[in-house]
Amino acid sequence: MKPPPDESLDHELMAAVGRRDRRAFARLVERHLGWALGFTERMMGSRHEAEDLVQTAFLRVWQGAARWQPDAKFSTWLYRVLHNLCMDQFRLRNAATGQPLDDELADSLVDDAPGNEARIWALQRDARVRAALAELPARQRAALVLCYYEERTQAESAALLGVSEGALESLLSRGRATLRRWLRDDLQ
Amino acid sequence: MDLNRFKACSAAFGAERRRWPTREQPLYDRFAGTLEGASMLAEAERADRFLDALETAVPDQRVARRVVALSGPTWRHLGAPAAALTASALIGFALGFVQVRSAADTDGAARLLLGPASLQEIGL
Repeated sequence: MKPPPDESLDHELMAAVGRRDRRAFARLVERHLGWALGFTERMMGSRHEAEDLVQTAFLRVWQGAARWQPDAKFSTWLYRVLHNLCMDQFRLRNAATGQPLDDELADSLVDDAPGNEARIWALQRDARVRAALAELPARQRAALVLCYYEERTQAESAALLGVSEGALESLLSRGRATLRRWLRDDLQ
Repeated sequence: MDLNRFKACSAAFGAERRRWPTREQPLYDRFAGTLEGASMLAEAERADRFLDALETAVPDQRVARRVVALSGPTWRHLGAPAAALTASALIGFALGFVQVRSAADTDGAARLLLGPASLQEIGL
């Protein structure tokens, strides 16, 4: 999912949220929750953690709306908040390689319903991608998530990460080089 | 030199032209159809397909409700009993302006309007 294009509506909604308009807040959540969860889940590799961090991010939206200045897109500002929350979380938690078995994958492995094999294969692939991304240093992961999954421009992604476009390209190259190792294992 | 730059871009941005920076897309157009260029893009595409295997769930209403609840309770969130209590209090307040002939009439009128809840039960 991508942020909705109508940035002027977001500015109006934020102004209303600054006046403690709860309907405007609900509308803002409706417009941005989908992509915010997707981005955060790809960054953290965990749905549960993503929900908690997105909730924290929107709490900051509610608390900070009165002070928010519309000199940038709301989605860009929210990306920055989410990215910073993810970086803080990385510092707190153990960055061990490999992920605990996902609940859906675990359930599917004991479900012998017809047609389940394709689903198991898809979930296993998903788990391997999550493990590969989790192995990456946080900034390489952020660069990949922003550029590949979120399809932010190079300029936007570099600005969000606080690096030059050349440095962003280097982060992407190194990140994808690590992924190639996982690919070699994946084909065996 | 240009082919080296093409290789660097394919390694960083992948196999799809739309993911390349706009200023590098002429380079993509120049080398994508060559043998060396196609080979580099094929290698990059394997990484792209690997990344594509990542799934993320669609947000459900439970998550949306949790987030919206950050803005504080509403009458709907508090539920019917609280709304009824508030309505009763408002009616009781309004009754204070109603001219009645005696205390008994006041009590009777209040109980009639408030139903089973007594004045004591709701603290009036």
